[in-house]
Amino acid sequence: MTDRRKLLKTGALLFGVSLLAALPAVAQTQVYDPKTRKWGNYDKTEAYKYWRKNKQVPPAFRRQVVRFRTAEQPGTIIIDGNQHFLYLVQPNQTAIRYGIGVGREGFGWAGIVRVGRVAEWPTWTPPAEMVARDPKAAKWAGGQPGGPDNPLGARALYLYEGDHDTIYRIHGTPEPWTMGLNVSSGCIRMVNDDIIDLHSRIQVGAKVIVLMQGAALYKGV
Amino acid sequence: MMGRATFRGLLAVGFSALLTCAASAADLTIAMPNWASGQASANILKVGIKQALGLDADVVEMGTLIAFNGLDTGKVDVHPEVWLPNLNNLVDRYVKGSGTVTLSPVSVPAWQGICANRTAADKIGIKDIADLSDPKKTVALDTNGDGKGELWIGAETWSSTAIERVRANSYGYAKNLDLLEMPEDVGMAAVDAAEAVEKPIVFACYAPSAVFKLHQIVRLTEPPYDPAKWKIVLPSEDPAWLAKSSADVGWDAASYRIAYASSLKQRHPDVVRFLEHVDFTPDEAIDMSYALQVERKEPLAYAEQWVKDHADRVKGWAKQ
Repeated sequence: MTDRRKLLKTGALLFGVSLLAALPAVAQTQVYDPKTRKWGNYDKTEAYKYWRKNKQVPPAFRRQVVRFRTAEQPGTIIIDGNQHFLYLVQPNQTAIRYGIGVGREGFGWAGIVRVGRVAEWPTWTPPAEMVARDPKAAKWAGGQPGGPDNPLGARALYLYEGDHDTIYRIHGTPEPWTMGLNVSSGCIRMVNDDIIDLHSRIQVGAKVIVLMQGAALYKGV
Repeated sequence: MMGRATFRGLLAVGFSALLTCAASAADLTIAMPNWASGQASANILKVGIKQALGLDADVVEMGTLIAFNGLDTGKVDVHPEVWLPNLNNLVDRYVKGSGTVTLSPVSVPAWQGICANRTAADKIGIKDIADLSDPKKTVALDTNGDGKGELWIGAETWSSTAIERVRANSYGYAKNLDLLEMPEDVGMAAVDAAEAVEKPIVFACYAPSAVFKLHQIVRLTEPPYDPAKWKIVLPSEDPAWLAKSSADVGWDAASYRIAYASSLKQRHPDVVRFLEHVDFTPDEAIDMSYALQVERKEPLAYAEQWVKDHADRVKGWAKQ
């Protein structure tokens, strides 16, 4: 219980910080309601309120098997940053769909990469510029050990182009309510349960397709 | 004559041994392209020729230029899909020029242009190329919140991508759509993802292609090709290509045919008769692409089943 309160408090703090940050214009997240078959707006306030009330993300961002017709082979990951969905292609034209949170400016890049390596409860090392401006990050300049407060969450999938680390990761998070939002620093975040599930199903080397989100926002990898 | 034939035979043996390390000397070598319908048809020809004429053929994967060189020198006997007008320069050189390569009179019509999914066509009303110039419609294609829609126009390496950029400028929809260049797998996965949540999407496409069987796809209507309005300078020809180009009409009709080494007319007139009667339809080519790309069928196993399912037709190709 103590741990959870601590987690929530830390989360609220981080949440507040990201609310203060000046955000460039990005696509308003919309959530699809399968009952009404309509799309409704979904923002940070809504997200946090929903999480506090339900202790889980809205149905659209929960892990589920969906019909997904594609020529890509089972085991391929397809990331739709605009809809905030990550698909893991399965046999018989289906996929497991997970809700994701993406970067503040949408996703920032697109292309075909692969899972180069994976880690359980990974260490997080803040980038030098974050260490310089943020005393909390400076504390972890040498690397924050894995654990419930670590921004990378329970698992990390490191995305490579050929043998080269792109510096982008698909990872867990201590802020599970941020699914469906544009809040991270360019990475793809998932609820810890979901990244543990995804990690258990994929092979190192898996193909990852990151979809485009407009010429203004993507750089080819 | 005998000496030349023997020499050619030796070369063919050496060539296939090099490529396949196979000990057996096949009667024929069929070039196999790296795209799905070509892989299926190369194998269907192999299995069909074996069944109808009793001849063995090696199927060897190779690029188009190497295949044409092989057809010219007699190292390769058949190429299953020669696309026109894309390969007009090779046709000028080897078919019209040296005469060492012959094209089958039967052609499979192909198509390229801009496609929409049913959501874009039916709910947003994007059915004609002119609809792309209506910002009230194309805002529905926005995926990054800037009020402009996005349109994938092809892979960076394709010459068709540069031409799609010219067409977007000439028609005017480049003003209200961001034109995206990405590998084909990314473009197609975007169509898959849009279909999964019933969101509209518009994209550059060509037929035959598996996407037409994978999803319900609508081809946007366009003014027909007019050579007087088709002024294309490619980036490889001039840095100012975009300013110097214009094309506000549809693509010229494309098609593909089987090509074979002209020397087959003497060596194997029965094979020539067979090849000149092979009549794949565009729908069959889509089925072939779908079977290999989506259902991941192995090309030879698929070909064996195809020939079994079309036994009378294959027999007919040999007999006519």
